[in-house]
Amino acid sequence: MENILELHQVSKTYSKSDFTLDSLSLSLPYGAILGFVGENGAGKTTTIDCILNTVRKDSGTVKLFGREMGDEDTDIREKIGVVYDGDNFPGFWTATHLSRVMAGLYAQWDDALFQKYLEEFRLPPRQKIRSYSRGMTMKLALAAALSHHPQLLILDEATSGLDPIMRDDMLDVFLEFVQEESHSIFLSSHITSDLDKIADYIAFLHMGKLIMTVSRNDLAYKYGVMRCRESQFSALHPEDMIAYRKRDFQIDVLVSDVEAARNKYRDAVIDHVSVDEVMLLLVKGTVCKEFLRL
Amino acid sequence: MKGLLRNNLLAAFSNAMIFSVFMLLWGIFIMAFPDRDLFIGFGLSGMAGFSINGIFCIQRESCSRWSKYKLTAPIRRTDIIKSYYTAQLVWLFWGMLFAAAASVLSSRVFRRWAFDLYTDLPMFALGISISLFLCAIFFPLFCWSRENRGEVFLVIALLCAIAVDAGLVMLLNMLLPEPGEITILCGTVAMTGCSALAFALSYPLTAHIYRKKEF
Repeated sequence: MENILELHQVSKTYSKSDFTLDSLSLSLPYGAILGFVGENGAGKTTTIDCILNTVRKDSGTVKLFGREMGDEDTDIREKIGVVYDGDNFPGFWTATHLSRVMAGLYAQWDDALFQKYLEEFRLPPRQKIRSYSRGMTMKLALAAALSHHPQLLILDEATSGLDPIMRDDMLDVFLEFVQEESHSIFLSSHITSDLDKIADYIAFLHMGKLIMTVSRNDLAYKYGVMRCRESQFSALHPEDMIAYRKRDFQIDVLVSDVEAARNKYRDAVIDHVSVDEVMLLLVKGTVCKEFLRL
Repeated sequence: MKGLLRNNLLAAFSNAMIFSVFMLLWGIFIMAFPDRDLFIGFGLSGMAGFSINGIFCIQRESCSRWSKYKLTAPIRRTDIIKSYYTAQLVWLFWGMLFAAAASVLSSRVFRRWAFDLYTDLPMFALGISISLFLCAIFFPLFCWSRENRGEVFLVIALLCAIAVDAGLVMLLNMLLPEPGEITILCGTVAMTGCSALAFALSYPLTAHIYRKKEF
């Protein structure tokens, strides 16, 4: 399958904070939504910054539409819509002002489409952005990102801080966007329930390291969490475990093949797992060395 | 580039309109109560004031993520810097229009005084020079800084621009001791030329700094 976005061994170190994005490799196929999950400070925004060239990566390659994007490659950026968390635009602007500026920046800016989104999202065009609520600000950013007909949407925590109704509205827009096969979304979030609803693939990032990338279908049907007692846990083969977390009376073990685990460990209780639980196991639990070596 | 220029000009537009009204009232006051010193102050304020306002509004952008967002748009980093410098030239030109209008109105229409080469020409040169030096000093500092320190750099750049101009005036007075038309013309050309050179050299320096900047 062809990829709209490919990262290969991308690394970035911030010497002042001792943070390192460590040899991150992942790909996003055309027509798919990739959810990029990780705790605060895991490196999600740094990854997006490396993709968009707003910071210089130390090593590795990032390919967008099959090409590495330099400062001169404005044709690639024409095809990308971006939404950052928080204030994307100066507060003293209005939506009308924004439209005028964007029309001068993007060759394919579609003012009629932007006005349609303003109406659909109920955003007053002449009101200063600073007086918008957070939800309105994010909707405006999404309207701006969509109104130049991008093929790839890169969203950095675009749904955080929104109420469930607004989040649901935005998720509907994302799903509508990927109806076209040439469109994809790279969605960074720590709201895992959003990704449960819409993501085709989920990449788990922890402390600058990509721990695993998995399709949502596999996560829903193949992955599971085994609830073990101490004696059961010690009998487990390390290669069958992805991560485990010791709790008061049991040990939760993340496994990648529920059926195989059921056959092998017949007395074990195995539940299906949510994105939330996987994240907790990977972040708060112990990731098995055997899994990291794979 | 068109969008960036529109962005920079629109950012300063409402403030510039308020300042224009203030300048207009000041201009009317000068016509009603003619005073040469007030007129010189008017001309200098017009040329430097619009530039200061333009810079102030550009640096205000960095309070939001817009300065980072812009980099994701189909524009090159050098275009962003070019738009800063171009917008500042537009504001300088707008300020010069005010000064020129006041000069023409006072000397030709209302005949308050005749155009005086010894004061009017240096006033224009000084106004242009302060404005150009201000930009030449501010933009590299602004782009070099990782934090949002626009306001303090604006103050520093303005003080430096005035100091550089004062130094230039002292130097020119030393080098060209005989007052006369030629001396005034030479001084004017030297002052404008130096500031234009600093402005022109500042652009590639700022572009170089900005190309390496991380957001």
